[in-house]
Amino acid sequence: MIKGLYKKVWMLAGISAALAAPNTLSAQTSGESIESDTIEEVLVVGYGRSTKKEFTGANSSLKGQSLEKLNIPRLDQALQGQIAGVTISTNSGSPGGASQIRIRGLSTFGDNDPLILVDGVVYDSEGLNALNPADIESINVLKDATAGIYGVRAANGVIIVETKRGKFNAVPKWEVSGFYGLQQTANKLNLLTATEYAVLKNEMFANGGQTMPFNNTALGTGTNWQDSVFQTAPVVSYNASVSGGTAQSTYSIAGGYYDQMGIVGLDKARFKRLNGRVNFDTKMSDNLRLSSVFLYTNEQRSGLPENGIGSVLYNTINAFPTDPIRDQNGRYTYLEEVADIINPMAQMENTYNWAWVNKFVGKEELAWDIKPNLTFTNRFNYNFASVDAKVFSPLVWFGPGKAQNTAINENLDPSLVEIAPGTFIDRGASVTESHSSFTDLNYESFFNHSKDLGGNQALKTTLGVSIFQRRGDYLSGTGYNIPNNSVEYADISANLAPGGFLNNVSSWQFTERLLSGFLRTEYSRSGKYFVSGILRRDGSSKFGPNARWGWFPTLSGSWLLSDEDFFHSKAIRSAKIRMSYGVSGNDQIENFAYRGLLNGEGVYVFNDIIVSGVAIGRASNPDLKWESTHQFNLGTDLSVGRQLDLTLNYFMKNTRDLLFQPDVSGILGTSGAGSYPPIINAGDVSNTGVELELQYRFIPRPDWTWSMGFNGAVLKNEVKSTPEGVDFIPGAAFGVGGNIATRFEMGFPIGYFVGYQVDGVFQTQDEIDASPVKQAGAKPGDFRYKDIDGDGKISFSDNSDKTYLGSPIPKVTLGYNTNFKYKNVDVSIQLYAALGQKIVRNYERQQPYANMLDYNIRRWTGPGSTNEYARLGTDLNRNAVFSDFYVEDGSFVRLRNVQIGYNLPAEKAARLHMQGLRVYMSGNNLFTLTNYMGFDPDIGSAGGALASGVDYGFYPQARNLMLGFNLRF
Amino acid sequence: MKKFAIALLALGLSMTQVGCEKFLDVAPPYTQDADNFFNTPVDYERALIGAYDLLQGSFMSTWIGEIASDNSIAGGESVTDSEGLHEIDAMSHDAVNDDLRKVFRWNYAGITRVNYIMEHKDKLDFQGKDEILGQARFLRAFYYFELVKFFGDVPLVVDKRLGSSEATLYDRAPASEVYAQIESDLSFAVSTLDWTAAEKGRITKGAALSLLGKVYLYQDKFDLAAATFKQVIDQNQYKLISDYKKIFTVANEGHSETVFDVEYSGAEGGSYGCMICLEGNASPGFQGIRQYNGPVYGDGNSYNLPTQNLFDAFAANDPRRDASILDIDDFISKQANPSAITYAKGGGGHTGFYNNKYIKKQGEIGLPDNDLTSPVNYKVIRYADVLLMAAEANARKGGADEALARTYLNQVRTRAGLANSSASGQALVEAIWAERRLELSGEGHRFFDLVRTGQAKDAIDGFVVGKHELFPIPQVEIDLAGGKWIQNPNY
Repeated sequence: MIKGLYKKVWMLAGISAALAAPNTLSAQTSGESIESDTIEEVLVVGYGRSTKKEFTGANSSLKGQSLEKLNIPRLDQALQGQIAGVTISTNSGSPGGASQIRIRGLSTFGDNDPLILVDGVVYDSEGLNALNPADIESINVLKDATAGIYGVRAANGVIIVETKRGKFNAVPKWEVSGFYGLQQTANKLNLLTATEYAVLKNEMFANGGQTMPFNNTALGTGTNWQDSVFQTAPVVSYNASVSGGTAQSTYSIAGGYYDQMGIVGLDKARFKRLNGRVNFDTKMSDNLRLSSVFLYTNEQRSGLPENGIGSVLYNTINAFPTDPIRDQNGRYTYLEEVADIINPMAQMENTYNWAWVNKFVGKEELAWDIKPNLTFTNRFNYNFASVDAKVFSPLVWFGPGKAQNTAINENLDPSLVEIAPGTFIDRGASVTESHSSFTDLNYESFFNHSKDLGGNQALKTTLGVSIFQRRGDYLSGTGYNIPNNSVEYADISANLAPGGFLNNVSSWQFTERLLSGFLRTEYSRSGKYFVSGILRRDGSSKFGPNARWGWFPTLSGSWLLSDEDFFHSKAIRSAKIRMSYGVSGNDQIENFAYRGLLNGEGVYVFNDIIVSGVAIGRASNPDLKWESTHQFNLGTDLSVGRQLDLTLNYFMKNTRDLLFQPDVSGILGTSGAGSYPPIINAGDVSNTGVELELQYRFIPRPDWTWSMGFNGAVLKNEVKSTPEGVDFIPGAAFGVGGNIATRFEMGFPIGYFVGYQVDGVFQTQDEIDASPVKQAGAKPGDFRYKDIDGDGKISFSDNSDKTYLGSPIPKVTLGYNTNFKYKNVDVSIQLYAALGQKIVRNYERQQPYANMLDYNIRRWTGPGSTNEYARLGTDLNRNAVFSDFYVEDGSFVRLRNVQIGYNLPAEKAARLHMQGLRVYMSGNNLFTLTNYMGFDPDIGSAGGALASGVDYGFYPQARNLMLGFNLRF
Repeated sequence: MKKFAIALLALGLSMTQVGCEKFLDVAPPYTQDADNFFNTPVDYERALIGAYDLLQGSFMSTWIGEIASDNSIAGGESVTDSEGLHEIDAMSHDAVNDDLRKVFRWNYAGITRVNYIMEHKDKLDFQGKDEILGQARFLRAFYYFELVKFFGDVPLVVDKRLGSSEATLYDRAPASEVYAQIESDLSFAVSTLDWTAAEKGRITKGAALSLLGKVYLYQDKFDLAAATFKQVIDQNQYKLISDYKKIFTVANEGHSETVFDVEYSGAEGGSYGCMICLEGNASPGFQGIRQYNGPVYGDGNSYNLPTQNLFDAFAANDPRRDASILDIDDFISKQANPSAITYAKGGGGHTGFYNNKYIKKQGEIGLPDNDLTSPVNYKVIRYADVLLMAAEANARKGGADEALARTYLNQVRTRAGLANSSASGQALVEAIWAERRLELSGEGHRFFDLVRTGQAKDAIDGFVVGKHELFPIPQVEIDLAGGKWIQNPNY
């Protein structure tokens, strides 16, 4: 870096919010370049750009190609293991299934999702299905308080995504790519075979003093339900794009198609997506530039019940191996003995569930260079999404006593319902249709100014305002008596109910608004000292007049140590120290939570007709305000030689005034239908951690390059306080009607697991009698629990003997990737590891007839047989209360992706009138090293922060083998 | 340049600060604020429906009223499923009990919805307001009566809503004060309501008088009770129906024996996620035959199973035995093809008997999950109960009117096809109590009858005198109200 030149580059980068930067960027994006990030890399930060050198915050950035390469349809899943401190865990491996993104840990039991901006447009994480990773140019994750430029929405971090753009004076560059893959389940559970099942169940019933169900236990392996439920499913994707530019304009136009079937359900769990994109930038005059982005997405997703009782996989795991899938008459078997387990094959066949999304996202941005050092930018963003959903529910009989039955008998007779005195209607097959739409409108206006203060000092200022509005509305209804019990007539318009009787008709609407002003001042001296201050003022309609407005300040600075005269190191090319502290907010609660509204449920029956009245919904709290996160970051960036880059961050992040809905006294009367306690601000959470990122590259010869990246993060999460009078907030439940397994409690991580601790197995009655701790009802072979409170007895009806059993939050997350290129062949490998977290095994139905995992073969069978597994028995026992027996080590190392590619030599390509052609073979999720017994240790949450790590039989991520090509001409 | 920056700053700040409050003051569309309501008579009526809603949670009280007594066991899938009910069954319950907590919270939710109306009772005057307030005050009396029966002294909140920090200001009010409030509310209801209501399911003067009589009886105010029940009986509004079996069917709802029903509908689905949101009756499904596959009945969860002791209490020729208790194996053996009929025994206990009054039957099945959505109404007070309460009050009052007591008692016995009783003195009182058990078994009264008549310690295994007359106030409720409420004795 030539010192004199630095200032110019720095100031340029700051001003040219729109056009100068893409040129800089695109230089690095073509082909398979593994050229290192340099400190001159341009970063898109809030309302402007910066360079890696001058940026005073903690961030991580990523090129689009490293996401695209994985052939994963969602940005969040593709981000896993790529950025230190950003933890991605999978809520569902089904096509189109979501992940949870956590930047620097969990800060609240409410909404922990970061703010995601695509070309400045707010995407929520649910909307990420719509984004085609092939359209992404770059990603920048703001991890520390410098995200505070986004104020009240920045507390969980900010992910800034930029889509691809063209280059000036470039001929059209065409690119076509595609791949085809086959997916399979990476893992099946070890369940009992029919013989093992019969033997164990006989023993279980005998121990319970009941008749043994199987006279003959020689039943062979029986039905392996998993073999039928899991199938090989295809995935296919095509993308085409053209980009280029004239002297005045640039363009990038792309289209994409993606179609993935599910390894469970095939077409019943399918995700299809069509994407279109136009980026167009033009110089309207010498000092006026227009930048325009348009993204269109059409999605179709079908889905099966997932997670927990009622899901296809839960039914698969617990179905009896002794029952065939179909009986001799070809009818699906009923699995009669367990009421809430139904035949998973019958379930898939009778599930019809679709959602269609149309999404239009765009931006029109006008930048006016008033003076060479002053730019005035005005932009208008919109994000419109229309979501249609349809569920067809045919008349089905899954067997006697099944809650999922829609018919009243196996002849598929419908039930009768009295809709008015003496008027009965058949409740035949039904269809539920809903429509919702969301419209975000956002206008932003800001100045970027830079000034040379002389004496090697410079000042950059960004000042602006932002006005944001989101509206949403929803309408749904259910029509009955669909003709012929057939999906072909699955539309409300086809219903045959008398008078077109509709049920479950409902609607909602909301509007939310955000008004913001922001100021950022960056001062630099001698290209070595950088200080930046951010001040944002936000007003949010989510909060009441008493607490609607907030200030969000941030101060950060960095020192480029290596540019000091005293710094003499040949090895260290550049060294920088950064520090930041600031406050940001989280306003992600439902609208109008501060007001007491009459939206509770006050419904009763008069004259046999359901009548609706009113009731108070949530109790009001006019003082409700946002959560605030106070974050400190200390970091360093080092470049060693030309080969190694290192970034190290230490952070302390304290979130205060958590948006909290504590339990309140029953006499406040908030326990009726649709009534809730008020949301209040209370509770503190801290996250402390260290993050390391390493980049290494090695170019021994022009035709031989090797690079690798490593990132790792260590995180400690702790609840610092709960509201006065509240010991803990209970979280997810274990088992059926069972105990609470997770809590939000002071001194522990968010959502830690709490229950009894197993201390061996009682071997004999004498041992039970002699035990100093009385455990009511214990028999030989039962778990012996630890007397945590030391009162000489195990209390099953209160919390006194429950204790910490582990945390769902990984202590360490690691990512590793390497790229190797020799002549025309390239190889890349990506690994991800999450270590130190626990998982609750909650997919076992603790019921006499349900199938079991094969560890039950090692059950207690008599004195001395085992001290690890309890006996089996249908009698009353306490072996299925939530204990550490059901908590497993969830640590894993996963080979996320391996790819081998071949590039057609340039001269051959030219002969074929091509710029280049690459063909490759790629495998995702080929190998996982873990002790976890379940399908997949990479699990998120089935419901909020307090259900993290509770495995209800999640839809696992597929193993995927792909063949693909990339053609440029 | 400096000037320019300052101008920018001023512009930015003024945009966010001034005149933008309006932009952010977004009103929730199509809903109303709680504090800007009661502007029309319809508003009062709609708030009243909200107050009625909590009646539908009575299934929990009725289960406990049976399971705690000698009439039934908890049952269900396992002892850890609905653990609270199993503990009550075994008289081992303590202050950590989810089911008792539901009783506590749901009844206060109902009271709060009435208090919301009463808080605004003077905002608008219109014809028919007294009838609305009469129904509302009846409901408040009903909810407080449930609380005082279960817990004894309870905080008395009247005519106002509490802010989130106000719970700590309330101590447990003596049961006598709670009863005084109940009597006052019911007297108002009696004075404002008619004997008949325009809609089935509305509270009537007869319901208010009957509940008032019951409230007197629970306080051993026998003279007042007798006089109150006399008003109901002399009105000739109600009659016993001839066929005991038909009292509990959907088809026969609203019959002449109905004094006060909780109304249910099967036309709205429901789930375990919110038991208080149900519009259907959860009892028939919960009390249904586990995984039953056969004629007449539907499948259910095998809760609240009658005991052999109850079965044996009936004379073999008493038609109420089989109408009240289903002997499942006997029933199956009498069907056309017994071997094709199957059912399962729950891990929570099995007696071979099911509650035949409130049980899932074919033709009375609501929407999914139909274990929770039965359209069968719950009979809170029916005329046979009124007659037996009247008989008891007359037999126990100072200067007992035994002839009248026997007349009432024998009306009930005659309907059951049994011979008249000619007992007198204590034998008459005990005959009335015995008749109550047989006539009203499975309807949620037994435990409270045993307690108020002093029979509980002999009838219930594990019952501790001086402790189990009342249930414990849920510990978490004590904590949430600031921890100063004194727990009921011996818990």
